[in-house]
Amino acid sequence: MAPSAPSINSVGSSRMATPRPSSYRHKSEKRGMTYNIMLVGQSGLGRRTFLNTLCEREVVPPPEAPNPETAHIADPMKFDTYEVTLEEEGTRISLTVIDTPGFGDGLDNTGCFKQLQDYIEAQFDEVLVEESRIKRNRRYRDHRIHALIYFIAPTGHSLRELDIELMRRLGEYVNILPVIGRADTLTVEELAVFKQNITRDLEYYKLPVYNFCWDDSDTEALEENREIMGLMPFSVVTCDEVLDNEYGSVRVRRYPWGTIEIDDESQCDFALLRYILLNSHIADMINFTEDVLYENYRTRKLEVGGFGEAEDDEEQDDEQDAAAGKSQE
Amino acid sequence: MSNADALGAPKPQPANGGIGIANLPNQLHKIVTKKGTNFSLMAVGESGTGKTTFINTLLTTELIEPIDDATRRKKQLDKTVDINIHKAELEEKMFSVKLNVVDTPGFGDYVDNNDCWLPVVDFIENQYEQYLRQEQQPVRKGIVDMRVHACLYFIRPNGHTLKPLDVRAMKAIGARVNLIPVIAKADTLSPAALRQFKKRVMDVIDAQNIRVYQPPVDSEDEHSTQRNKEIVAAMPFAIIGSDQEVKTEDGRRVKGRQYPWGVAEVENDQHCDFKKLRSLLIRTHMLDLISTTEEIHYDKYRTTQMKTRKFGEPKPRKADNKKFRDEEEALRKRFTEKVKLEENRFRQWEQKLIAERDRLNKDLEQEHNLVKQLESEIEAIQNSGSPNTKFFRK
Repeated sequence: MAPSAPSINSVGSSRMATPRPSSYRHKSEKRGMTYNIMLVGQSGLGRRTFLNTLCEREVVPPPEAPNPETAHIADPMKFDTYEVTLEEEGTRISLTVIDTPGFGDGLDNTGCFKQLQDYIEAQFDEVLVEESRIKRNRRYRDHRIHALIYFIAPTGHSLRELDIELMRRLGEYVNILPVIGRADTLTVEELAVFKQNITRDLEYYKLPVYNFCWDDSDTEALEENREIMGLMPFSVVTCDEVLDNEYGSVRVRRYPWGTIEIDDESQCDFALLRYILLNSHIADMINFTEDVLYENYRTRKLEVGGFGEAEDDEEQDDEQDAAAGKSQE
Repeated sequence: MSNADALGAPKPQPANGGIGIANLPNQLHKIVTKKGTNFSLMAVGESGTGKTTFINTLLTTELIEPIDDATRRKKQLDKTVDINIHKAELEEKMFSVKLNVVDTPGFGDYVDNNDCWLPVVDFIENQYEQYLRQEQQPVRKGIVDMRVHACLYFIRPNGHTLKPLDVRAMKAIGARVNLIPVIAKADTLSPAALRQFKKRVMDVIDAQNIRVYQPPVDSEDEHSTQRNKEIVAAMPFAIIGSDQEVKTEDGRRVKGRQYPWGVAEVENDQHCDFKKLRSLLIRTHMLDLISTTEEIHYDKYRTTQMKTRKFGEPKPRKADNKKFRDEEEALRKRFTEKVKLEENRFRQWEQKLIAERDRLNKDLEQEHNLVKQLESEIEAIQNSGSPNTKFFRK
């Protein structure tokens, strides 16, 4: 029984596919659940619009017009952080989204992977330091990335070297959810073939994407999760405008030959992805990051050694404040 | 007595004393129709931009077969740009065209795409070189002309502007051949976004001095001029490619792409610029593409080459692709090392021989000295002894 996303019209319905565990730290009713997502993909695949559509409001302002004089120079990759508070089925989520414009846009993109890896590791290191402090900071804000959404270009064929390298290198640090950006360029058959090819490539290259079935204790959820795995990678179409018709407001994308309804599951997987990301699997994502990915990293790091305990508490408080200041941007 | 000649065309009557040179265009028409022509088209762009589908749609035949999975997987990590040539002969109403389509798989597909346009540029220049050399041969019959007449550059519509890769590649290609930029898979942009993207692309092309093909606009009749103006205004062309026939909502069968939300038609001017591009390439401006290649681009190449090279000299090879340069360096290093090793070996051998020779020489000298000594003793005895007893000493 696949979880069906609540459509915009039916506000009253609330369905929970998997029960949420009630025991993990940092859950404060006032502030909301801490949830960090990263969006990675080449420019033009709809990352920013995806974020706006996900949060149902304009979080990211439209980019300024590019300068034609400097079009031959590639902008280096940077990390833009956006903070949004969402209310999903009675739960507050304090969502932090990190966008990575500039990824894969240059002539030589080999440096991008190291940058991403360093960023993610830095978040882990912060937690490692925090954990081993004698006096822990109660107001500590967890910046570990719980999900990385990777936008695949809709070529219609199969994965490219950039995609393969990224998933291979970052799969052990973060949950990767591959999605097909701008999926409205593919017909139904082409989309099916593309998804099949990608799945085959994922197996062939043994790419570590997020395995929905990692927790096999709950058999009912396992069945659902298997179905969800079958739909991966998710096809995403993002919203251009909101139309008002007799049923209420509908989020659409309009072309001369037709209109796509974003939230209609038969037309794209956006609604399903949103539900998985923000409702049904939010706990799974966080748990997997904390219990498996972070623990593996910690073990590796401590085995290698060279990670000493912090001596000076004051020095660390300054560090903490600097990190907190950065996250408020 | 009919006024028609053997082929059925009416015999021109010289009017008011003309000698009949006005008939030359008709003769030329006959010659050209018999000879046919040669047309080379190149398609450059990242994989998945619809190059193969476009070519097949343009020619309404499957000229290029889609690559199968195994080949594609091997190519994914190959890190090279290939040049594939597909040949076809098209015939329509007794006029035949030898068509060459050049495909460039691997372009822009890798993590490091530096210099990926070099194989493309080299190919174009090599065709000019081949033609130049053939022209200089004593026997010029049967020249193979593979000079590229038009290069379509497929831009992936990312909704913002051209990528640095596009800018660099188009600059290099546009300087050598008729470059026609094309927005691929245009059915992913809404009409407003498409207009904005086209404008931005043209802004970048102007600012970066990229040379693109400008079709001539003015012609004899008003209708053609109008059509040409529309074509120029629509550049860069936004295209959708499809070699399948589908049914629209109002029941027409058209070439198009069927989505759950509608049918995007290939030959509908409201949906994409396919018809304009086809007109440019084939129906109206093919001759102009061929003649500008020959008169402008090839001539420019010829002039620059002839200024620096003597007649009949081969072209000097310049530095190649960086990856090949690296390989060349590595090979050269290995070669020098091997040579050094061998030289050392020989030197040691030589020294051994020299030592041997010296030793033998010394022995020889010793023997020589001994002989000399004996000789001098003999002489001494000869001189000192009596002449009679000389030879009887034992």
